[in-house]
Amino acid sequence: MVYSTELLKGTLKTIVLKLLVDNKKMYGYEITQKVKELTQDKIQITEGALYPTLHGLEADGLVTTETEYIGKRVRKYYSLNLAGKTRAKEKVNELASFVQTMTLLLDLKTKTL
Amino acid sequence: MAALSDEQVDYILDELRAHGIRLEGLRDNLLDHICILLEERLETGGDFESAYAALIPCFYRQELYELEEEALFITSLKGPHLVLSRNRLFQCLLGIVASPYISYFLLWFFILRPAGDPRQPIDVLDAIMVFALFPFLIILVLFLTPDRFDPLIPWRSKVLIGGKTLIRVLPAAT
Repeated sequence: MVYSTELLKGTLKTIVLKLLVDNKKMYGYEITQKVKELTQDKIQITEGALYPTLHGLEADGLVTTETEYIGKRVRKYYSLNLAGKTRAKEKVNELASFVQTMTLLLDLKTKTL
Repeated sequence: MAALSDEQVDYILDELRAHGIRLEGLRDNLLDHICILLEERLETGGDFESAYAALIPCFYRQELYELEEEALFITSLKGPHLVLSRNRLFQCLLGIVASPYISYFLLWFFILRPAGDPRQPIDVLDAIMVFALFPFLIILVLFLTPDRFDPLIPWRSKVLIGGKTLIRVLPAAT
């Protein structure tokens, strides 16, 4: 089952931040592949969602970038700065709390038992 | 893995520009991503043109520039900072530079000028000096808005204008 775009929209930033916490520095394609691998293809981040999000994180001053030239093209690596690490922690905690609340709200524990 | 030729990379870059991707960082990301996916596809056979034509619609719903609009929208939501378009920035700078002169001239013309006094040649010279600032203002605006650079000026010209873009462009220029 692949999750819907609507469901993923509010969590994409958190996903990217957490991946950057765990992997130090990553580029766009690498992020999409890592998400696919970790979720066994259940979550597939589209380029149309990922790159605006990365652009937003950069504008927010949460990530630093470094570029590597591969022939004529540029590969842009993203890594978290101190503010980014702090924000990542906050976002993960927020999402964890949200999941707990949704579990209570939808009575998911009872249903899975 | 099959590596794309410089011509093929240039072709994709031109296509991205032609389809409205003007933010340099976003364009670099998309170029790299598309190149990787194309190299993967070409590894299993097929030609560049058909692989590119099949791949590129996966990146958008209606048009490719949606990605840029989304990126700009996300950026515009951040913090209490002012986002000016290039034209608006130019207008502001022009106003700052030219308005003191225009105000002074209007004040002199309507209030301080002695009756029947023709305009002095020095006034014309003043006006020329003020409006000679136009080219410098244009360069300043281009320097302050590097992401909006490429549609107007050939990319190699960037080295003439700013340190930031100089660092960005030099490796490709060699």
